Amino acid sequence: MVTTAENRVPEAAPPDEWQPRIVAFLCNWCSYTGADLAGISRIEWDPTVHIVRVMCTGRMDPTFVAKALELGADGVIISGCHPGDCHYQEGNYKALRRVHLLRRLLKDFGIDPQRLRLVWVSASEGVEWAKTANEMAREIRSLGPMRADA
Amino acid sequence: MADNGSPRIGVYVCHCGFNIAATVDVAAVREVAEGRPDVVVARDYQFMCSNAGQDLIKQDIEELGVNRVVVAACSPLMHEPTFRGAAEAAGLNPYLVQIANIREQCAWVHHDRGPATTKATALVNGAVARVALHEPLKAMRANVTPATLVVGGGIAGLQAALDITTAGNEVYLVERRSTIGGKMARFDKTFPTLDCAACILTPKMVGADRQPNLHMMTLSEVESVEGFVGNFEVKVRQHARYVTADCTSCSDCVAVCPVSVPDPFNELLVGRTAIHKAFPQAIPSTYVIDRQGRSPCMEACPIHQNAAGYVSLVAAGRYAEAAKLIRRRNPLPFICGRVCYAACEEACSRSKVDEPIAIRGLKRFVMDWEREHEPDPQPDLPAQRRPEKVAVIGSGPSGLTCAFDLAQEGYGVTIFEKHDKLGGMLAVGLPGYRCPRPILERDLDYIRKLGVDMKTGQELGKTFSLDDLLSDAPGFGFDAVFLAIGAHRGLPLGIPGEDAEGVVSGVDYLRTINLGLPQTTGKRVAIVGGGNTALDAARTARREHAEVTVLYRRTRSEMPAEEDEFADAVAEGVRFDYLTAPIEVLVRDGRVSGLRCVRMELGEPDASGRPRPVVLPGSEHDRPFDTVIVSISQSPDRDWYGNGSPSAKPALAFTKWNTLDVDPQSLATPVAGVFAGGDVVLGPATVVESMGQGRRGAEAIHKFLSGMALEGFTSHMPPAQPGLGFEERPYLHSPTYSKMERLPRAEMPKRSVAERLTDYGEVDLGFTEEEAKREALRCLHCGACVECRSCEAACPPKAVDLEMQDEITTLEVGQILVATGYELFDSSQITQYGYGRYDNVVTGLEFERMLNSTGPTAGQVLLKNGKPPRAVGIVHCVGSRDEKYNVYCSRTCCMAALKFAHLVKERTEADVYEFYIDMRAFGKGYEEFYQRVLREGTTMIRGKVAEVVPALGQNGSDPHLLIRCEDTLIGKFREIPVDMVVLCSALEPPKDAADIARVFSLSRSPDGFFLERHPKLDPVGTTTDGVYVAGCSQGPKDIPDTVAQAQAAAARILTLISRGEVTIPPIRAVVNEALCGGCKTCIGLCPYRAIHFDSEAEVARVNEALCQGCGTCVAACPASAITGAGFTDAQILAELAGILAPVG
Repeated sequence: MVTTAENRVPEAAPPDEWQPRIVAFLCNWCSYTGADLAGISRIEWDPTVHIVRVMCTGRMDPTFVAKALELGADGVIISGCHPGDCHYQEGNYKALRRVHLLRRLLKDFGIDPQRLRLVWVSASEGVEWAKTANEMAREIRSLGPMRADA
Repeated sequence: MADNGSPRIGVYVCHCGFNIAATVDVAAVREVAEGRPDVVVARDYQFMCSNAGQDLIKQDIEELGVNRVVVAACSPLMHEPTFRGAAEAAGLNPYLVQIANIREQCAWVHHDRGPATTKATALVNGAVARVALHEPLKAMRANVTPATLVVGGGIAGLQAALDITTAGNEVYLVERRSTIGGKMARFDKTFPTLDCAACILTPKMVGADRQPNLHMMTLSEVESVEGFVGNFEVKVRQHARYVTADCTSCSDCVAVCPVSVPDPFNELLVGRTAIHKAFPQAIPSTYVIDRQGRSPCMEACPIHQNAAGYVSLVAAGRYAEAAKLIRRRNPLPFICGRVCYAACEEACSRSKVDEPIAIRGLKRFVMDWEREHEPDPQPDLPAQRRPEKVAVIGSGPSGLTCAFDLAQEGYGVTIFEKHDKLGGMLAVGLPGYRCPRPILERDLDYIRKLGVDMKTGQELGKTFSLDDLLSDAPGFGFDAVFLAIGAHRGLPLGIPGEDAEGVVSGVDYLRTINLGLPQTTGKRVAIVGGGNTALDAARTARREHAEVTVLYRRTRSEMPAEEDEFADAVAEGVRFDYLTAPIEVLVRDGRVSGLRCVRMELGEPDASGRPRPVVLPGSEHDRPFDTVIVSISQSPDRDWYGNGSPSAKPALAFTKWNTLDVDPQSLATPVAGVFAGGDVVLGPATVVESMGQGRRGAEAIHKFLSGMALEGFTSHMPPAQPGLGFEERPYLHSPTYSKMERLPRAEMPKRSVAERLTDYGEVDLGFTEEEAKREALRCLHCGACVECRSCEAACPPKAVDLEMQDEITTLEVGQILVATGYELFDSSQITQYGYGRYDNVVTGLEFERMLNSTGPTAGQVLLKNGKPPRAVGIVHCVGSRDEKYNVYCSRTCCMAALKFAHLVKERTEADVYEFYIDMRAFGKGYEEFYQRVLREGTTMIRGKVAEVVPALGQNGSDPHLLIRCEDTLIGKFREIPVDMVVLCSALEPPKDAADIARVFSLSRSPDGFFLERHPKLDPVGTTTDGVYVAGCSQGPKDIPDTVAQAQAAAARILTLISRGEVTIPPIRAVVNEALCGGCKTCIGLCPYRAIHFDSEAEVARVNEALCQGCGTCVAACPASAITGAGFTDAQILAELAGILAPVG
């Protein structure tokens, strides 16, 4: 199993300790394939991150993020193709614009905007995906459960 | 049969052997699923993708009425089609299947069974909740255009193109270079069989040329790709070749091309001409002119003189041709060779190395040579005469150029000159020591030979009027007029006493001297001003034996006079008083007796950007002078206008500087048919600037008389900053300026100062032939072709077309193969190996060219000094298998290195050492070849080379190289003396691989090569349907592997062509027209312009064929009127709710 130092998953937590639940919306072409590559290459990442596939990050309706947080997610990742590489030309730019506004909105609602993260992961960046998932899990663990914000 | 009504969900959890089951408790996942709403059956099974696994699903659909399926298994990118197929076989719509990815995104990336199982359960819950909301969808079908685009004409692209066309389909083969053949065409032998590369490649190249359905597009690049599998629209830019298909490959052009630039086909080891064919067997065999932008010298010249062209011809000793080339665009070559301010030299790229080429001096040399050898040069007369007549008023540079151009077009041209001498400022303004009169006469003679009528003593406003010219009066009746009356009026200083005797303007002073009219130059002359005219007046006054002082109100650095002029003036004893300005002319008895002056200091910059001179208080002082020549500026004379104003309205318009107000592009005045140019428009300008205006005027008059619109001019207006694009190097493959040898600029010999002051004889004496040739050889041939047009003249079938333009072609193709190849690692990055520093350290490809019979050494292995090497070191893994550069193995180098060893042994007596890390002889016959090379006596040293250093023999002579390395087999440090080092450099993706990837929507692997769809199961497909990859663009590989991959890609392409149609996933945007409010937000968001607004129904409509299903519009619709089929809001939210549902 390939596990690099910066990529190491925290040691298994005691079963009664609070575990975050993170939802990740990944575009079909770059990031979902990149996450699959992490799997094929057995690069470990945090099991609290759950992937939902969308065709493009341009599909990301801000409601999805709000709904995820409402339904009990403690953090949300949106991951798409790198700028300029979008399979649909520019959907990732649309996502970028929406996320900027959304983070501001989250702040107004008293939710730490760090709970929403937008990243670019290409189909060849399995390592980057694993790193992203682990970093987010670490971040959310330090922020604590969502209900602490509200 | 399944009922698609209320959901009856079947859940199938795959063990995938141990792949999933080792980390995820599949039974627990199944148990939880059993308890979820709508789930009628849940099973776990060892291999769901097996037939037996699929049968489970089919059975449940048929027997239990399952109408929704969730498979928890590997990634949907892997087996989604499998399970959809199974459902479809059982009569269920395939889009009622949902995959939960519990292998790649769960079991394989987590190690702790508890959390992994929790997560798998959540993912299955999400899928169950989602699938309940799935609706049956129908995949669309589209026809496949059988034509195919193959990008890259190397062995990969070529092979695939041949396969596809042989099957009877059209292929467009797009190649960036001038020939197909790629890297393979540059190799000598191929391993391990030692076939000659050309022998096995060229038959394929010729075959491609013969294939009627293979459309070869060389010098071409794909600019954009739109559409989808089966239906792509591709825009291809075909760069101009400048040689038409009439070319017979006779090579007569090569014999006359004076250019030499480093030859990229031969790895820059030798030079080649600008017009060339990459190699003898190149296909297409049509020659090509390498033209990477226009030389800065030519670009900077207002008359677009082919400076680089004639300079190159001088270097070749072809003076008669040089003169002819100069005369082609220049009506005043003798004048320009002497007095042009030479914008070309300012722009010359050579100044980035040392100093600009002495272009003006070379032009003078050529024209002087012509005068000596060709007493009576004859212009080419126009093929036909035109009936229209044009009057040119003024015989200065702009009038003469206009007349010259129009006469060449066949118009009848008459010049009207006020003075008795022709030439305008050239005759009355230029002192004879700069431009001897016989020289001007020779230029005028040549223009006369074109049939231009030149009348002297004809003054506008006195002897004739503008109305007369355009009237039918005898001797007139012109159809158009070009006003080029110059700017001959010196501007006064505007100080008291200026009208005293002995005060004269610079232009008047020069005119009277030049026309031989009486003019008394005193003993003590003051010149006021610092321009070229001021200096001409000063130097002229010195020749009239006066003591001369130039008064200038700023300093030398602000003075507009040219450096040469200034240096000559100083040498001739002209004094310069800077920061001095006259405020009053002192007059005694009506005659000037001196100047009252003030001292200045420099203040803030003014509008011209020069520091404004400010008077120093109390600095007033008187200076004795008996002559004051005021030369601060000139303006056109407009006295003629009162007498000669045309009756036509609107009349001419003037600016506040008395210059004519004309259209800046066409030079048209408000009076129809009357154009104006030169100093009368520009104010005092240089000779060549005025000539440029004459040229534009001629073009405008030609358009006017031909009834064309006065737009789209092709005559040149130089940009403010010419020569851009040549910042680093003069030619794409040249060394940078900083690495070029410095060569001093030729200094033109001059007459001695003492001699100069005795008469008006010419000061500059001109170059000797030897000086001129040496100077011309300094030319860097910017952008390769210098537009000398020698090839044009030499080409028997007249195939050279320098006016050719790039063409953009739109192709409709069904599929695309990208085979764009590789580049070699830049070995100079590993500085310790000395590549680029030591002569005899070469790359593998350079060595390959050396071995080739058509290469620079005609197949001999030679050192730079021409001797054969005594020992050769071959270094493996240069830039590959190296953490610092590329971690991957380049796969071809071990075998290429062994081939080199064999060929060195075959062709020289040299010892050969191979320095390797691991020997990778993996292919068919490779190991056997390795054994053969070992038997031939090549020494193998296992160890990475540390460095290559220069060394000398024991007696201090005999320079050679030392290779230092650790021999890991004997565990010792070694130093091996060799004469030559061959570096087997890594194969890398091309520098622009990212751009190529973007055009074709390809992904790239971390090493930068294009990413195949699956590393094992789909090595030629990509993530974009209908786009395939082959050859080294996908990763380093040798020729057999490349050909195999190309043929695989061809087979894939042929499969789809023969199927004739593609299935397009029904993931599309759908508008619910009842909800659509017509806000049009979606329309601007769609990258495919698939949404349009139906203004009658006031709703948005989606064109299904164009929609690609990204869902951007779905997310943006404020009324939620757009649904993303397969990815509806409800489905995604249900999946979310399922994943986040409390696990219980």
